[in-house]
Amino acid sequence: MIQDNETTVLRQHAEQQFAQELEALAGQDERPRPPSWRLSPWAVATYLLGGKLANGFVVSPKYIGNRRIIEIAVSTLATDRALLLLGVPGTAKTWVSEHLAAAVSGDSTLLVQGTAGTAEEAIRYGWNYALLLAKGPCAEALVPSPVMRAMQAGKVARVEELTRIPADVQDTLITILSEKTLPIPELNEEVQAVKGFNVIATANNRDRGVNELSSALRRRFNTVVLPTPATADEEVTIVQTRVAAIGRALELPGDAPPIEEIRRVVTIFRELREGQTADGKTKVKSPTATMSTAEAISVMGSGLALAGHFGDGTLRAGDVASGLTGAIVKDPVQDAVVWKEYLETVVKERDGWSDLYRACRKEM
Amino acid sequence: MVVTARRHFVFGVRHHGPGSARSVLGALEAYAPDALLVEGPPDADGLIALAAHEEMQPPVALLVYVPDAPQRAVFYPFATFSPEWVALRYGLARSIPVRFMDLPQAHRLVPAVTVEAPESASPEESGADELPVEGAARALRLDPLARLAEIAGFADSERWWDHLVESRRGGHAQVFDAINDAMAALREGEAELPELESRREAYMRTAVRAALKEGCERLAVVCGAWHAPALVEPERKGAATADRALLKGLPKVKTAAAWTPWSYDRLSFRSGYGAGVDSPAYYDLLWSCAGSPPVHWVTQAARLMREKDLDASSAHIIEAVRLAEALAALRGRPLPGLEELDEAVLTVMCFGNAAPMQLIRRKLVIGDRLGAVPEEAPVVPLQEDLARLQKRLRVPVSADEKDYDLDLRKPIDLERSQLLHRLRLLDIAWGEQREEHGKKGTFHEFWRVQWHPEFVVQLIDASRWGSTVADAAGARTLERVHTTASLRELTGLLDDALLADLPAVVEALMTAIQDTAAQGGDVVELMAALPALARAGRYGNVRQADTEMIAAVSDGLIERICVGLPNACASLNDEAADAMFGHIVAVHDAVNLLQRAAQREAWLGVLGHLAQQGGLHGLVAGRAVRLLHEAGTWERDDVERRLHLALSTANDPGQAAGWIEGFLRGSGLLLVHDEGLWSLLDAWVTGLAGEHFTAVLPLLRRTFATFSAPERRQMGERAKRGAPAGVGAAVATDAFDFERAARVLPMLARILGAAEEPA
Repeated sequence: MIQDNETTVLRQHAEQQFAQELEALAGQDERPRPPSWRLSPWAVATYLLGGKLANGFVVSPKYIGNRRIIEIAVSTLATDRALLLLGVPGTAKTWVSEHLAAAVSGDSTLLVQGTAGTAEEAIRYGWNYALLLAKGPCAEALVPSPVMRAMQAGKVARVEELTRIPADVQDTLITILSEKTLPIPELNEEVQAVKGFNVIATANNRDRGVNELSSALRRRFNTVVLPTPATADEEVTIVQTRVAAIGRALELPGDAPPIEEIRRVVTIFRELREGQTADGKTKVKSPTATMSTAEAISVMGSGLALAGHFGDGTLRAGDVASGLTGAIVKDPVQDAVVWKEYLETVVKERDGWSDLYRACRKEM
Repeated sequence: MVVTARRHFVFGVRHHGPGSARSVLGALEAYAPDALLVEGPPDADGLIALAAHEEMQPPVALLVYVPDAPQRAVFYPFATFSPEWVALRYGLARSIPVRFMDLPQAHRLVPAVTVEAPESASPEESGADELPVEGAARALRLDPLARLAEIAGFADSERWWDHLVESRRGGHAQVFDAINDAMAALREGEAELPELESRREAYMRTAVRAALKEGCERLAVVCGAWHAPALVEPERKGAATADRALLKGLPKVKTAAAWTPWSYDRLSFRSGYGAGVDSPAYYDLLWSCAGSPPVHWVTQAARLMREKDLDASSAHIIEAVRLAEALAALRGRPLPGLEELDEAVLTVMCFGNAAPMQLIRRKLVIGDRLGAVPEEAPVVPLQEDLARLQKRLRVPVSADEKDYDLDLRKPIDLERSQLLHRLRLLDIAWGEQREEHGKKGTFHEFWRVQWHPEFVVQLIDASRWGSTVADAAGARTLERVHTTASLRELTGLLDDALLADLPAVVEALMTAIQDTAAQGGDVVELMAALPALARAGRYGNVRQADTEMIAAVSDGLIERICVGLPNACASLNDEAADAMFGHIVAVHDAVNLLQRAAQREAWLGVLGHLAQQGGLHGLVAGRAVRLLHEAGTWERDDVERRLHLALSTANDPGQAAGWIEGFLRGSGLLLVHDEGLWSLLDAWVTGLAGEHFTAVLPLLRRTFATFSAPERRQMGERAKRGAPAGVGAAVATDAFDFERAARVLPMLARILGAAEEPA
């Protein structure tokens, strides 16, 4: 059954994909575990940051970046405070929250996706109306939300894009987070959270102000800001690891992309994001897009697919050019100018970049 | 027991470590020594007694310097939580002999014969121990306990010390034995010590031996942990001979020492005790707080945030402390340190926003405490010099504001002004120069003077530049001259240097300005630099400075401006033209002020070129014509023709409006009183055809509207009186009796201060 699942499912849950690592960690982990936790906080941090266990088992890093951020996030969950991950798009907020949930409760599926249309039922509970009409309000007719199920099982629930949810719906979380109970007035009952229950929410820095959290709700969260990667090397490593993983999952033909190609794409992304060249000598304009690492990964991924299916399997400048242009030029007028200017003033002058320059010019 | 039976006991401490300080105090009380040696400069032995003075408030520092060259100086700062300070106070309170035992600065402040003496090094650095050594080994020697703490998994070595003391339970004395053993182990792996280090330890051993020979029964030795193993067996066989050989024939200079107030901010720099402290305020809390430091620290942070109107409730404090504890547990540390507290406050109270953390860092990590020393304590020579000047010039130190009107013709006022200007060059803003309305002259300066206590620290800082105010200001400004490449800044400095009467600096500045002007191609830069130079040339007379050099440099500047100006004025937009207008007016005034015939001619030549240059912005062209008119270079007819040409209907209205604005801007009053200008305009207006007049009226209005209401009223009245006034004046000019007029001239010359008008 599991074997089946592995071969057909497009994207596995973290706890399935890394089941072996989680098992190995649990086996080696002798530190105290908070109630209902699958692993100790130390083991959760190791799962995310990677490392070598005492028995020589190597845990792959899931988050590459500042160690302190993950430590703060794990400690927050250990103190039964809710965790809010903030950051610009593409800084691995969802990724981190999924892996945290997988490591802490072995279940990353208790998920509420925040949208402008998210209703209270998605956070509290809904009703099976056929049963409700037939039998009246009863426990059977109740449809629990992911949050409610997490409370009952003592697991971690995830709320994605919290600031997209309308403010009145957001505030239903307050009781859940402070009293750790969910009243069901229709049945004159309540659900009390089992130890181990917690919430990880993510929110987008750029969207701030869409539905700003009320201060009452904000006070219930510890806020951790996920930054864009600090150094070019860090970012190259991230892109490399993720592209390799995607290539495997999509069974793309061809070789892994050469590190120089990744470095070039990452350099372009970083320079456009920061508004100056890596040597700090030339100012460049920034496009309207966020130029996140996630987009750099997708540029490399699509380049890899192009090279695999339509080329000879080796990634070349021409394969990333269209992806690059697509990622950078989001606004056809403004961004095209920015990109063209960058090509002419920076890419053209750089040693060994002439192939990339020609390929990108062809795309314009 | 065993401990008290020893004849001497070595306390290896962490400089500025509150944990060490507490342990030293505890161990001293248990050991009850009858003599005390502390790592520090024996040059300052005479000042130790002042540490017990009731007016002495840490943070303070011992300054040891060479009186003949005070920039060779070193500071030994002490805070309440410094183990050395605690030991000194303990010894003084028990009235036992207390001495310093480090290698005297008299040997260490000797000017290096070799080239490696870095001139620009700050006092802390030039005095601080070592010759350049590889970073890692050096850092280890400076704070070996931090390395040990790191090995033990602590980011905060203070918490590690606490942990060590608590886990040992045997009392404080046993901790020091353990430290000695650990240091001995650490030192085993190290390469041979640098020469200076071995000499220092040799001297310390000698001092210990001397004290033991004097017959004390229980000698306490407080030193940096790194040196502790070297002092445990001072009487080892052969040690005395080896030490003597090391210390033989060391060069020596005369040194002096002083107590100075210090601040927590400056404690965070490196100093005579090596590594600085990153978090003095936090250490202060660790030292003074009896309960749980994390709770106190987070509470203080919350209160600070509330003061700044940021939300921080008690619930926040509880959650932050809980998170800090969870973080420490995750990292395998028994207690949260500053790192965990910092992260917890950022996450819980600041919602991940780093901005409020700056404030917390400034107030609660570094702190703003300022120390004080008793009045009878000896002071830095620069302070002494300033105090002398303040007394002689009768400008008392006061925390209140006081205004001074200085008449620079009086010697005492001139000196006062020079003193205030010199202090400003040292970044000590004791006096603030003010513009007094209605009283503007080169003979008067208006100052508001107010003394701030932190000036003392700035004075000490400035003392590295020299031992008198004049020397220090000179050296400081010279340094700035050598590091500045901007012409504008250089000429600004020139103003300051002349006002502060620093002839040597003026000379260096002249050379620098000449060099920079030769290299820099930007005409606007040159133009911006000239007015200050011209003023300097003129003030030179009042201030008796040599102006010959200024003239030579300014001549060069004017020549370069004349060459570059036509190009610089081509294709200006409105904004740039506006700036250029200002520059041209300023340069014109400067040229007039300088009164150099050849340069004036060249300048007027360029203005003539500008006035005829095609495509020039109207503002600039108009002003060029006007200046030429004023200078008498262009005849009335010429100017009138230009006026007509510029305001012809065929011209672009914007250009024409700019021209007339450039011609008249800011001269409303002049227009009323200057017959020539008035009649010129009058003739032009009356000569216009009706339709044309209607066309140019809006343009004229644009300029005239900028004049003040009384000016416009006067113009109106004058226009109403009509032509006769103008004609009458012209007639009078024709019937001029030169002989009679000449008789008045001598009297006029006397009234005007015997300065003869040129031409």
